[in-house]
Amino acid sequence: MPVRVVESNTPAQVSGTDPGNRSQLPPSSLLGAGQAFSGTQNVSNQQKEEAWRVNVQIQGIDLEHGYLCGTMEALNVPMADTPVITFWEGEIVDGKNYTFYTGKWEATREDDMRHWSKFPSFSPLQGQVESDGGRQLDLNNYPYIFMRWKEQYFVNVGTDCGLTIAGFYYVCFSCSDGSISGFYYDPNSSPFQKLELKTVNEGRSGFSFSSYELQ
Amino acid sequence: MPTTTTSAASSSSTSASASGNNNRQADVFSRLASSDPEVKLKALREVKNQIIGNRTKKLSFLKIGAVPAIASALADADDSEKCNNILVQSAAALGSFACGFEAGVQAVLDAGVFPRLLRLLTNPDEKVVDAGARSLRMIFQSNQAPKYDFLQEKNMEFLFSLLNSENENVSGLGASIIAHACGTSVEQRVLCEAGVLEKLVILLDGSLSQREACLESLATVLKNNPEAVSDFVGLESGRYLNSVTELTKDRYPRTRLLSCLCLVVIYNTSPSYFVNMGTKSGLITTLLELLNDPGQSGDDAALGLSCLIAGKEDLQKLAYEANAIKNIVDILKTDSELQPKRLQGLFLSLAELCSKLEDCRCSFVSLQVLDLLINALRHKDADVRAAACICLRNASRSVKNLSAGRFNSDHVMLPLVQLLHDPSSSVQVAVLGALSNIVLDFSSPKSSFIEFGGIKQLIELSKSMDPDARCSALRALRNLMFLADNKRKELFISDVNAQGFACLISDPEPPVQEQALALLRNLVDGCISSIEFVFDEDGLILDTVGRQLRKGPQAHMAIQGMYVLTNVASGTELHKEAVMQQLFPQATGSENFMLKFLQSDESQLRSATVWTIINLISPSSPGAYDRHVKLRSAGIIPQLKNMVNDACLDVKIRIKTVLGQSMSFGDNY
Repeated sequence: MPVRVVESNTPAQVSGTDPGNRSQLPPSSLLGAGQAFSGTQNVSNQQKEEAWRVNVQIQGIDLEHGYLCGTMEALNVPMADTPVITFWEGEIVDGKNYTFYTGKWEATREDDMRHWSKFPSFSPLQGQVESDGGRQLDLNNYPYIFMRWKEQYFVNVGTDCGLTIAGFYYVCFSCSDGSISGFYYDPNSSPFQKLELKTVNEGRSGFSFSSYELQ
Repeated sequence: MPTTTTSAASSSSTSASASGNNNRQADVFSRLASSDPEVKLKALREVKNQIIGNRTKKLSFLKIGAVPAIASALADADDSEKCNNILVQSAAALGSFACGFEAGVQAVLDAGVFPRLLRLLTNPDEKVVDAGARSLRMIFQSNQAPKYDFLQEKNMEFLFSLLNSENENVSGLGASIIAHACGTSVEQRVLCEAGVLEKLVILLDGSLSQREACLESLATVLKNNPEAVSDFVGLESGRYLNSVTELTKDRYPRTRLLSCLCLVVIYNTSPSYFVNMGTKSGLITTLLELLNDPGQSGDDAALGLSCLIAGKEDLQKLAYEANAIKNIVDILKTDSELQPKRLQGLFLSLAELCSKLEDCRCSFVSLQVLDLLINALRHKDADVRAAACICLRNASRSVKNLSAGRFNSDHVMLPLVQLLHDPSSSVQVAVLGALSNIVLDFSSPKSSFIEFGGIKQLIELSKSMDPDARCSALRALRNLMFLADNKRKELFISDVNAQGFACLISDPEPPVQEQALALLRNLVDGCISSIEFVFDEDGLILDTVGRQLRKGPQAHMAIQGMYVLTNVASGTELHKEAVMQQLFPQATGSENFMLKFLQSDESQLRSATVWTIINLISPSSPGAYDRHVKLRSAGIIPQLKNMVNDACLDVKIRIKTVLGQSMSFGDNY
């Protein structure tokens, strides 16, 4: 569920409500705070095949600013004794706050196109994105959400753990079944490490949703 | 008094000195009642000179009854020239008692001398008029000043006679009366129609005192009144708006402040007069500079700044870019003790800065302001404590900082939990707001809040007489239970039985019901065994949820209720069947509430309802087919078929899922 920030009546001058007039992506119930995903990240290189199990949890989402954040937990990481948890922040490509062009993190436009085009759901949009950056696209009604996720810090290990969070992920989320695929981009790491996640139902027969409300 | 070196001697010399003072006071006091005018006059002058700017002296003279004595002196003096000095000195002394000293104002009013002071304004002697006007102005600075009925014609005439006076103290008094007594839009309108704006703006070109009185009264007349603002701006095609704007650069700080506050009022009432970005920036910069003023102007500037940027992201951004946070934090970090009003204003300004801007919240955290706030939570003034809580609430409105555990420490949590018992209800409301956010620790292993017994306190508050407190307490519990493990849920459930929880869901106030259901939703999420809670005491809680949903509730409450059902329906066969019982209770003639919800304007409600259906007919469960049959014959599946082009993408996608499942049961699109 998206976070609803509510201003309550207070003793003094603090007041105001969020302006809700600007158009924004509709919330997808499966991309909401509390939603959990599980899968793998393929970290193979030329020497060997390797995959880490990965769990992701969304902690917050602010559609008005095209922002979301959460944690990522990597299991069976060879260099680490315990699962490694990182906190990441995401940019939602909504045509308003963020576009398909990254414009930072050492990713060129060519890098961007190379990665987005690896998602089958991007092909219908590719032509327009290449010609005018996708300005005319109605991403509100497209059943896939494109994002970039950037890990910000390690939650439970030190920076000397031998792992890097220098790069970021190009991510595609499917609104219909909540599946996520992504590609890790870091000029100093193996290219196109693929992230594949599905929603987690914790042993339930169906979907279950938690929510919170920030004051 | 001579002092000696031994402590015993010095203590006796101190008490001797005190009794010496008392003797002198008693002596002055008795001379006030003297029949000899010269003696009386001298006593009046002595009192006046001793109390000017000296609060302690004011208090001690007050205690011995000096005010009624002076009031008598004033009343007894006739209007002859001989008595004019007595009139002047007694009025001045009374004015001094009232100046910035609420107990003094009270005493002056209690002495019944107010009408006598008013009569001084028509005295032929200018000095007497001056003294009377000054004294009355002091009284009208206070909230205890008598109500002035602007709607009475003779009062309006009197007011205008003051405003028209050549005497600057008298015209200033007229403006002061308006500044402090005008309260309603009716009064504002009556004043404007009588031409008060035209009179007031003349004072802008007058003396310093007149200018300041004018600015204060303009702010009062214009506040929240778009017509009055329009009238003012229309005067000589905006000349006076320009004058006020120019005055923000005046050399006197108080003038700069009052003109800023006037502009804040105009901006908040009719922002369209401020298209120029430069004016907005200038206003913010001036207020920020005034924050450093050591006197009352600094106090007022802080509150003024918070008023200006409240709810306005663009102004908050301007203030942030003008380094507001660092400026305020530097002031807060100074060693000198700040006045409560200033502290309140500074914390409220910080709160407004953090209300929408994530950059502000992060910079706030990095500037180590938390310690300052924690200290303020223990301040003796309730307004300061409340402002600090509001500041914490807004700063913690940041998932990033909450996730990083910036507020989840004993150091922060303990004073907050203690404030749940604060004698001031405004502090309690404010601390609940802060705690609501801060308990959201995304289930980190340690919760300081829980360790300090916070759950029990929230449960108590959820039974408060005050619906806002109930709502806030439940919201905090809801956030605490977000993604909570069984151990944490157990801490709550063990203290609240099903009966108690059912009462919360059926609370008379819809916002309370909404939070109770949202809490329940979180309780039944997670590990599948946690669904059992709704079945305690013969399924009382689940029955209550069903009953509330059948009553045709408001959308926000219905959304939470449907997510409770969704979450329960994601459980076992038994759980799903129990949900079906709530959707199709045996004795019912009314339309199924799900059909109503599917036709709601609220997309989240439509979505939540469809999720319940998805879970009920989830193909992996044995009873799915039979439930599908029932849903179809109740008209629910057909209703979904009508909604394949729902305006909301999420709803559309979920309906597609249901219809896909439906097809697998042999149903055609």
